[in-house]
Amino acid sequence: MTTPTLAVKVLRAPRARRRSSTTYLISLGVLAVMTLAAVFAPLIAPYDPDQVDFSAFYAGPSPEHWLGTDGLGRDILSRMIFGARTALLGPLLVVVSSTILGVLLGLLAGWRGGWIDAVLGRIFDVIFAFPALLIAILAVALFGKGLVAPVIAMSIAYAPFVARLTRTLVAAERNRPYVAAYRVQGFGGAWIALRRVLPNVTPIVGAQSTLNFGYVLAELAGLSFLGLGVQAPTADWGAMINEAQAGLIGGYFLPALVPAVAVVIVVVAVNVVGEELSDRIGGGTPA
Amino acid sequence: MTLLDISGLTLDLPNGNRLLDGISLDVSAGETVGLVGESGSGKSVTARSVLGLLPDRATTGGSVRLDGREVLGAPMGELLDLRRHRASMIFQDPRAGINPMRTIGDHMTETLRLCEGKSTAEARARAIELLHAVRLPRPEDHLRQYPHEFSGGMLQRVMIAGALTSSPRLLICDEPTTALDVTTQAEIITVLAEQRASRDMGMLFITHDLNLAASLCDRVVVMSGGRVEEHGDARRVFREPRAEYTKRLVAATPTIAVGEASVGRAVSAGERIETSAPDTRLPSAQSRYGAGAPTRPAAGPMLATLGLSKTYHRRGKEPVRAVADASIEIARGGALGVVGESGSGKSTLARMIVGLEQADAGDIRIAGRERTAAPRTRDERLAHARSVQMVFQDPYLSLDPRITAGRAIEDALRLHTRLASAEARTRVLELLDLVGLAEQHANARPRTLSGGQRQRVAIARALAIAPDVLVMDEATSALDVSVQAQVLDVVAEIRRERGLTVLFISHDLAVVRRVCEETVVMKDGEIVERGRTVRLLDAPEHPYTRLLIDSVPRPDWDLDAVMAEASIDALSATQG
Amino acid sequence: MTAVRRIAGKLGALLLTLFLASLLVFFSRFIVPGDPVSFLLRGRTPSPDAVAAVTAQYGLDLPPWQQYLNWLFGALQGDFGRSLQYRQDVSTVLGERLPVTLGLVVMAGLLIAVIGLSAGAVAALNRGRIADRATLVGLTVLGAVPSFVGSIVLIAVFSVQLRWFPSFGSGEGFLDTIYHLVLPSIALAIVFVVLVGKVTRSSMVEQLGREHVEVAMSRGLKRATVIRRHVFRNAIRPILTVAGVLVAGLLVSSAIVEAAFGLSGMGSLLVQSVDRLDFPVVQAIVMFVVTAFVVVNAIIDILEPWIDPRSAAGAGAR
Repeated sequence: MTTPTLAVKVLRAPRARRRSSTTYLISLGVLAVMTLAAVFAPLIAPYDPDQVDFSAFYAGPSPEHWLGTDGLGRDILSRMIFGARTALLGPLLVVVSSTILGVLLGLLAGWRGGWIDAVLGRIFDVIFAFPALLIAILAVALFGKGLVAPVIAMSIAYAPFVARLTRTLVAAERNRPYVAAYRVQGFGGAWIALRRVLPNVTPIVGAQSTLNFGYVLAELAGLSFLGLGVQAPTADWGAMINEAQAGLIGGYFLPALVPAVAVVIVVVAVNVVGEELSDRIGGGTPA
Repeated sequence: MTLLDISGLTLDLPNGNRLLDGISLDVSAGETVGLVGESGSGKSVTARSVLGLLPDRATTGGSVRLDGREVLGAPMGELLDLRRHRASMIFQDPRAGINPMRTIGDHMTETLRLCEGKSTAEARARAIELLHAVRLPRPEDHLRQYPHEFSGGMLQRVMIAGALTSSPRLLICDEPTTALDVTTQAEIITVLAEQRASRDMGMLFITHDLNLAASLCDRVVVMSGGRVEEHGDARRVFREPRAEYTKRLVAATPTIAVGEASVGRAVSAGERIETSAPDTRLPSAQSRYGAGAPTRPAAGPMLATLGLSKTYHRRGKEPVRAVADASIEIARGGALGVVGESGSGKSTLARMIVGLEQADAGDIRIAGRERTAAPRTRDERLAHARSVQMVFQDPYLSLDPRITAGRAIEDALRLHTRLASAEARTRVLELLDLVGLAEQHANARPRTLSGGQRQRVAIARALAIAPDVLVMDEATSALDVSVQAQVLDVVAEIRRERGLTVLFISHDLAVVRRVCEETVVMKDGEIVERGRTVRLLDAPEHPYTRLLIDSVPRPDWDLDAVMAEASIDALSATQG
Repeated sequence: MTAVRRIAGKLGALLLTLFLASLLVFFSRFIVPGDPVSFLLRGRTPSPDAVAAVTAQYGLDLPPWQQYLNWLFGALQGDFGRSLQYRQDVSTVLGERLPVTLGLVVMAGLLIAVIGLSAGAVAALNRGRIADRATLVGLTVLGAVPSFVGSIVLIAVFSVQLRWFPSFGSGEGFLDTIYHLVLPSIALAIVFVVLVGKVTRSSMVEQLGREHVEVAMSRGLKRATVIRRHVFRNAIRPILTVAGVLVAGLLVSSAIVEAAFGLSGMGSLLVQSVDRLDFPVVQAIVMFVVTAFVVVNAIIDILEPWIDPRSAAGAGAR
């Protein structure tokens, strides 16, 4: 039998600075490798991603083709390396732009409160009603296939999540005595909001945005899987799985499984990093 | 007959921390034993171990015998039986201790129905009877209500009644009145004493408040750092403490007793405050206030408010009159205490003076200048800041977690002066030195500082601006008594050296007595009484002031005749 | 009395959100540059007759607000116009496809509820122990398995290798349909199971740390009783909030699962319609999903005082 309150209080105390866990370091490594592969794709990839090898359709792993070839005889490893570009760039753009937009709106709503908060809150509510993937599909329906429209649409779809979190944090900070103390000392509202409160909330928001990266990656890849995002024959993880579906029924698993596993690995790595970050930050500031 | 016998109790956490180190104590039927200590002393862990509520994966040694049966290592079935029939516990915060999503009735009848197999009607009848016993006004109605509809004091009564449903032999009270106002505390203590007497229970009473322990307990056990420092007859421990720790604790504890010098106690640094109260530098210390409005002495008060009022309007609820027509005055270099319970408007008064809230009516003058209106320009804002600064209640929240102590002070300095970096740095160290901190604290973030250190940083930061008036809003309430004494020493020293004018807001009469020459008492937004602190404590005129003073727990043998005429009722009640 | 007013307020907010969403859905077409007729007839070679017919049918010569009102009042009566690819009423097309999607969503929902709640509860009650860590690792990995990955892995293992389940189509009759929907609903549920599992765990862990739980323990209640009456009961609220968000996510993600398993449901209809530039159908499906989200969340909102009595009192004050 345990006494939870005590256990929590007592166990938290000695945990001052925890060392980085191994999974966290491995995850960081995975992300670094993926990023480098994407950036230097032409230098690293053994083949041109679109080069067809007529001697090898659905070839298994071999010294020539480490991960085998797909139904058109293209080298899967090379396509994976090139595919990492769209797989990582899209989510990165969405996360960065939605975070900037969301933090600004959230700060405005949380700090000013009143009618600004009410109006923004109502707008966020409406956008919440549209799941991100739905907005992305709607954007494709309006502007045609590709990644540009979905990336912009998903930036808008994710901004309210960031904004609402920022708003909640800022509104809580605003009522903290330390903010009142700054006011009493004679500091101006804008200075307090931008120079003191904002830096106090951004780590938490940043950690949350890192977690969004995984969701966005999965959704954009899903869009390409549906044939609405990156179009074949361009190498992209989602599009590769789409193309490989036919072979799947025939028992050729590699062309579909390799990009599938890559998606899972990246998302796990991002989530591990994001959770570790928010854990650390959570331990740093008083609750 | 011995109900509880703890001997050589040790408790270790899996990470090797030893929370309890050889605790021994015992409680007999009909006896009240106090367990006294500051935060982190292990008193709560000890209390919980009696019911077998141990931290996760903790290892224990020694023995805890409850009504003749060993608790440590007992099988779950026996533990449940002990908890259901032998001992009950009352927790500190009734607001947190009763499930907010269930009714009072559910809380009261839960164990009766689920553990004792009583019918709904039986359980209900018993619940009503117990709610009557703790003097709740409408037991039948209360059963249907939810905790959020109750005040803290009422909820604590529910908690007591809930603990009594099992007719326990031993009642364990873990700081049961710490979250409550002093008048409510007195009522709760009365109820506890009554029930203990009428049921002939043993009581283990955990508290950080020496005065409370002394007024209620037969014997006390003083704990610190997981060890028993001293135990014995309550009178003896407080009159002639033997352990060093107890001596310091007794010395640091403020009391409202006027004739303090007559009580035999060690001379502490805190003691100097009384003797050195700077009467000579108070030109208007003798100024008497008129019926409502203060009359201005020739020298001019440092802080004067006239008819200050503030009402909060909330949609769908009655407007709340937080402060009504408050007029106070502090002479240059003086210290005025504002005393009241929660909701009395004392904090709102402070917040209006420092400009965090705008008054609906009335005006504020600081050093002769008008400070009522909200500052519009940067210059006005800075001028207002230079006229008054504030130290907040919670040292854990009033410092920016990301900013180091030195940086916090430097920021304030550079906002108000044109000091170059190097000069500012020197000033920061001087200010830290002034509040008794050293250079290494300048680079520390608040997280790594203790509560007392943080509060010193907050004081240094306020002084960096060299304000005319310093407002301290419950600035020592969150601190342990020994730390509180140190912080009060710092304040006294600064007053002596710099002639600082202080407005001291507190719920604690004893602390106010230590700091302030003059005191006003607030209730429901109004100032009900004002005057010199000594006179106010000695001969309160307003019935509420008298109630407040009577409610402060104090051992009868500590007062002798000094306060006798004022305190007979309350004391007779608390003594059961 | 106050309850009635509170519910009326919630319904008002619901209608306002739906109204704003409908504006967004309808006028999104107008942010695309170019004239509306050629937008609607993209990818087709319009004869003058067809142009005239489409213009008349959608009232494209009317001012935009008039077009909106026509669409809105039509939609309120279940008339979303005509599908360009099927040459049928949108509502008819949608009506044929909806049952499969709803079946899929309901089965996935059951999986999510059962597995998510129990995984979260097991982890929370064994906080810090092996069962907790194993569950957390499992949840972290599964949370990174999007539905299309889940689909192809399930097809590869259970359809192609083991041949236990079909990889295509929704089957005939009740039991056969359920049989066909087993793999798709698992693929759909994975990510959401993780979401519910994690919320359940953190919500229960938070409640376990509350003092009222310790009080209940101290009174001699059995651990199971305390968990049922004081931990789980109090932990429901954040779980329900997440559940409200799930509904729309499930409806949209089913597009991916339907594509992978060749199911002809609403999701695959949405993808087809985007692919074939059938905008009226897209509009209708988007509006349907949004409405489902808003309604479910309004219901959860309205139920709140029964879940948390404090919110009923707070409603009047705030």
